[in-house]
Amino acid sequence: MSEDITSLIKENVIQGRVTADDEGMDEGLVGQPGVTELVEQALADGVSVADIINKGLTAGMSVVGEKFEAKEYFIPDMLASAEAVGNAMEILEPYLTQSGISAKGTILVATVKGDLHDIGKNIVSILLRGAGYIVKDLGNDVEPQAIVEAVRAEKPQFLGLSALLTSTMVHMGETIQALKDNDLRDSVKVVIGGAPVSEDFARSIGADGYGADGFQAVAVVESLSAA
Amino acid sequence: MLIIGERINASNRLVAEAIVARNEGYIIELAKAQTDAGADFIDVNVGTGNQSQQAQMASMEWAVEVVQAATNKPLAIDSDFPGVIEAAMQKYKGEEVMINSVNAEAEKLETIGPLIAGRPVRLVALAMGAEGIPRGVDERLAACKAIMNQLTRFDIKEEQVYFDPLVLPVSVDSGQASITLKTIERIKVKYPQAKTVVGLSNISYGLPSRKLVNRTFLVMAAHAGLDAAILDPLDARTMSLIKAADVLTEKDPQCRRYIRAHRKGVLVT
Repeated sequence: MSEDITSLIKENVIQGRVTADDEGMDEGLVGQPGVTELVEQALADGVSVADIINKGLTAGMSVVGEKFEAKEYFIPDMLASAEAVGNAMEILEPYLTQSGISAKGTILVATVKGDLHDIGKNIVSILLRGAGYIVKDLGNDVEPQAIVEAVRAEKPQFLGLSALLTSTMVHMGETIQALKDNDLRDSVKVVIGGAPVSEDFARSIGADGYGADGFQAVAVVESLSAA
Repeated sequence: MLIIGERINASNRLVAEAIVARNEGYIIELAKAQTDAGADFIDVNVGTGNQSQQAQMASMEWAVEVVQAATNKPLAIDSDFPGVIEAAMQKYKGEEVMINSVNAEAEKLETIGPLIAGRPVRLVALAMGAEGIPRGVDERLAACKAIMNQLTRFDIKEEQVYFDPLVLPVSVDSGQASITLKTIERIKVKYPQAKTVVGLSNISYGLPSRKLVNRTFLVMAAHAGLDAAILDPLDARTMSLIKAADVLTEKDPQCRRYIRAHRKGVLVT
């Protein structure tokens, strides 16, 4: 029984169905339970939170990652699946501590000062939630000092910075410097991304990691978690 | 609809290589092919992304000379750097020209404004400020207003301005097509003398069969009042759609240009 429902959760993550009202990748699924209903059902049936996450959500999302990599899935497919997982994680959050599972970590994300572009940051946030992280989004055009205050208050394990403009990517370096000035640099791993940003740039400003796209961003955070 | 041929753009790897190697033949061929295909303006963008402004100025001066020798069509001088635009304008021969682009950043307008004052230059103005593309219609209109206020200081008239309402991908936010279309409509109401222009391809980022989405969006934008488009004029299907859309939006009186295109055998059905 538990096998059945976790594999149904996995299947519906791959289909990118948040609720029963959603269409899936394939036709004819509207009306059948989506990830939200299935996760609630699984909890009611007494399926362990670990099984729901590992055999259902994470297993589904890793198939989605493979399909996106193979260009079988497109951006909207990937976003739908990640949204389904993100919603499921919200339902599961109250059960995480009591079942002895902690979320993988907290990550603060922001588009830096002077930059309004939040599409990339939002995609990365959705994918990180999908991977089991708690994401706190500070929005766009965020001053270094506001980021410093948020790091001080939230004590996240990670900070993700985004910029789309060559004129604003310099504020990533300023933000890292502001963390240093406030003795917070060693408390948090900083990862960056955005069209003009590169691995070399990340190194030059003293960031801990760089992701070229959403899935890479998750991979970088995962590898820093393991380190 | 006014067609601005987009092919001479260094974001394309082959074009970038030709510009860096000063390969005249490749650039001349692109200029001629776009002219023959019906482009009204030939866009020239030499920004490879990793060159200094100094190097881009030299490339732009070279490209302007090469392209102007190859076509009788006016150019659209396309750069993020006002200095590169200034260099191009010093080489440029002829009255008719388009400058692509400015936005609400005062610094850009300060450099480019004086280049245009008193001349019949057409100016592309992006509906954004220094911080990037605003998400909503109201914010984009506010950027247009800020631009228009500045331009009048330089004696640039509303009818010289081509506002670009800007396009974000529908793959990440399905409301974006309608935001661009509404922005076009609002610009046409608020600045009836000004024109509108878009670069299409961003709309389909992240989707399969992108040309289909681009073309469909182009037709919808034509209905919303779009006056000009930056696109590939060598795409005969898109050019045919524009000719039909011109008929349907009263831009081709008595359907003369449409029928002429039919007689030439260039319409793709």
